[in-house]
Amino acid sequence: MSVLKNYRSPVNIVALINVIAFGLLSLYQESFSSRILIAGSLMVVFVYVANILVIKLKFEDEILFLTVSMLVTLGIIIIYRLDPVLGWKQITWFIIGNLIFFCTALIYRKINIWESLVYIYPLVSLALFLLTMFFGTMVKGATNWIFFGDFSFQPSEIMKLVFIFFIAAYYSNPEKLTIRDLKIFKRTVNVESKWVFMGLAYLQMGLLVIQRELGTLLLLFSIYMVLTYIYDYSRKFILINGGLFVLGAFMSVKLLHYVQVRLVAWLNPWADIAGKGYQIAQSLFAIGSGGFWGTGIGLGQPHYIPEVHTDFIFSAVCEELGVFGGVGVILLFLILVYRGIKIALGIGDSFHRAVALGIALMFGFQSFIIIGGVIKLIPLTGITLPFISYGGSSLTTSFLALGILQGTSSSKFMAEEEIYETEAESEAEDKLQAETE
Amino acid sequence: MKQKLSQKRKISSKQKQNKRIIHVLVLMSFLFLTLIIYLTYFELFIKDNIISSSYNRRLWEREDKIVRGEIFDRKGVSLAHNEIVGNEQERVYPFGPLYSHVIGYNSTTYGKSLLEAKYNDQLLNINPLNPVTDLRDKLTGSRSFGNNLYLTIDHKLEKRASELMGRRNGAVVALHPQTGEILALVSKPDFNPAESSLEERWHELIESEENPLLPRATQGLYVPGSTFKAAVSLMAVDKGLDNKTYEDTGSIIIDGKKIENHGKKAYGTLDLENALAVSSNTVFARIGVELGEENLNDLARQLGLGKKISFDIPLSTSRFDYKNMGKTDQAAVGIGQGKILVTPLHMALITGGIANNGVVMKPYLVDRVVTANGFILKDREPGEFFRLADPDTAKRVKEMMKGVVDKGTGKNAKISGVSVAGKTGTAQNELTAQGENKEHAWFIGFAPVENPQIAVSVILEYSGSTGGGQAAPIARELMVQWLKEQGLM
Repeated sequence: MSVLKNYRSPVNIVALINVIAFGLLSLYQESFSSRILIAGSLMVVFVYVANILVIKLKFEDEILFLTVSMLVTLGIIIIYRLDPVLGWKQITWFIIGNLIFFCTALIYRKINIWESLVYIYPLVSLALFLLTMFFGTMVKGATNWIFFGDFSFQPSEIMKLVFIFFIAAYYSNPEKLTIRDLKIFKRTVNVESKWVFMGLAYLQMGLLVIQRELGTLLLLFSIYMVLTYIYDYSRKFILINGGLFVLGAFMSVKLLHYVQVRLVAWLNPWADIAGKGYQIAQSLFAIGSGGFWGTGIGLGQPHYIPEVHTDFIFSAVCEELGVFGGVGVILLFLILVYRGIKIALGIGDSFHRAVALGIALMFGFQSFIIIGGVIKLIPLTGITLPFISYGGSSLTTSFLALGILQGTSSSKFMAEEEIYETEAESEAEDKLQAETE
Repeated sequence: MKQKLSQKRKISSKQKQNKRIIHVLVLMSFLFLTLIIYLTYFELFIKDNIISSSYNRRLWEREDKIVRGEIFDRKGVSLAHNEIVGNEQERVYPFGPLYSHVIGYNSTTYGKSLLEAKYNDQLLNINPLNPVTDLRDKLTGSRSFGNNLYLTIDHKLEKRASELMGRRNGAVVALHPQTGEILALVSKPDFNPAESSLEERWHELIESEENPLLPRATQGLYVPGSTFKAAVSLMAVDKGLDNKTYEDTGSIIIDGKKIENHGKKAYGTLDLENALAVSSNTVFARIGVELGEENLNDLARQLGLGKKISFDIPLSTSRFDYKNMGKTDQAAVGIGQGKILVTPLHMALITGGIANNGVVMKPYLVDRVVTANGFILKDREPGEFFRLADPDTAKRVKEMMKGVVDKGTGKNAKISGVSVAGKTGTAQNELTAQGENKEHAWFIGFAPVENPQIAVSVILEYSGSTGGGQAAPIARELMVQWLKEQGLM
């Protein structure tokens, strides 16, 4: 196949890793079953088909999808090794995720209303929140799942994307949120767009406090702060937000018990190893037992860690594939973030540029928050590791986001002609600007 | 013009944006780099302290998949083995408390100790090739077995020693002076190391003032008392003091400190040999002073005091805590009091060294490591450890120690038809300092003098009796038992 020629080696490596890993699993699993080999073959076929399709459809960035294929492959191998039933489900989600990716990437280019929905996004978030509150089920002390029969879904996953679209819509048209002629006590007030934006952003994040979604909250705040840094040059605005973060963190440690528990478990998990520190201690045992090279697939005991297939999957990777395997995962995420930012830099349209940035940051911060949490670098806040953790909501949302990122990289939105300026020109222009002001 | 300006502005703003986006890329790279550095740091410096926690169930995982190795005495008597009940395995110690301070315990709740801990990898057959051999076992369908240990312990002797100690607290060490094999290693009080018993009695065990979890023979530190005079004699002979005679008046004042004989008895004129036989404090205090600081420090070094001794189970380091010695200190060292602390095992090593003409052999407890199908993985050979005196000096002191048993304080260790050498000790301690009659009773000895087969060290804690009265008969019984087993009696 000619398409494979240019990109032969990377796709083949992903396929080869699937072959080796599933081959080993079939040897080490308790009872041999051909289902493992079928699963492995299915993975190989899908990785090839999807990556060839990416090239055939002339998507701008093939590396992006290739990186994600590798991440999902690692995730599925580990999940399958932990529990073949979950492994099969995850393979199904991977296939569905691929479909979502291609549909999104193709459809996204054709719809152009996203930018004008700036008022709609907070409402969507609120609606998702209310949906969880009324129809949600309590899982591990937090009401953030909705069950439809056997099928469960975590609305906060979608809230992440809605939030990014909201910020992007605002910064592509920063004056839109201005409230004019607001009548308070018979006085007419104009509220600056910036403060309305801030209020709406905090409102959405506030919903997560009620839902006890600390990890997602931290993620959204990081994205919010970084995008603000990129688009808003007012130092005061950034300082106010930073100050609010410190204040919020302080208040939540003082007032919210579930925040205190996490802080205590981070500072000294060994003091209450049987209780609060249990999870993080088990995670560290796993990472430590793997060493640099890991025990090998199927030879470790990652199942001792509670929630190993979702939040703690990185510890399982470290135990069986070693710290080098873990570093590999970290570097793959770095490539993903780098490619995302590279795409953003090439986009001319400011809304899509902000969306692309937001999604790249989402992948980056989300993986940092959870990896940092399970290795005890930062306090643990429950959140999934994109593309690797088990779970339909998480995987499909990640593919949805990836599809959007791929969509924004369509040539339609790319800067039509790069305008180069010389230093002198830029200086002259600055002068000009100073004069007019 | 205005339009062009606004366009230019837009471009400038975009440049500024791009610059900041690059900042963000740098920030993300920094964050990921932090993860990698911390992960590496954790692996190199933190994890070792963490993964040995008993909450790390990985330590037990292998235990379920493999039959933990069996432990035998030198003649093949099983001292510890696994019994399979259904799918569960249970560690069984057929002799209950007898080996609690040798083999230790293997508990999922309280961890592992002594040999069970030190030889865990061998007992579970853990080595880097495991995944391969495990896979082979899986394919061939055979069950994996750990390796078995053969100890140097003689079960009959161990049992006899424990019986002789009875309910008295203390320790007995018997070793072969010419090979360093540990023949018996008893510490009292002991405890039942079975998992169920530990669970039931754990709090009692850790809270008891008698400290039954302490392996006294290897980790108990005691003042050697008069047994140390045998060691002091080595240096005295070396310096030619064995040709001298001393006048013993029952008490002596050195630097204002009064030193008395046991029972304030005056022995008259004594040479070194007779002074050792009657265990004269006044003479040995003077010898201590005559030898002086330098020689006594040399002696401590030659005896291995303060030196870390590697052994198959954890062994406390004996102590000789002097920076500089006054005359009263020198006198105290001469009679084995003062700031000297030894383990009963170390005392047995010194005894064995004298018996073996000055050469201390490396002590060992595990003789062979053998795979389940009989392949010998490790076979220990006796080796010289260190020399505590030259052969002539040691031979001279051997003769003098024979005199202790023949005509001195060690008469209770006498065996008809066998020449026995020994030294008694009645060591003062923190309780006697308060005026209580609670001395430790010591005895060290070996037999036969001309071709030593067994060296013994016995200590009875706070017994309030003399070493000759209480400890010597235990040593005697053990020598008889061992020599009979060897067909030498």
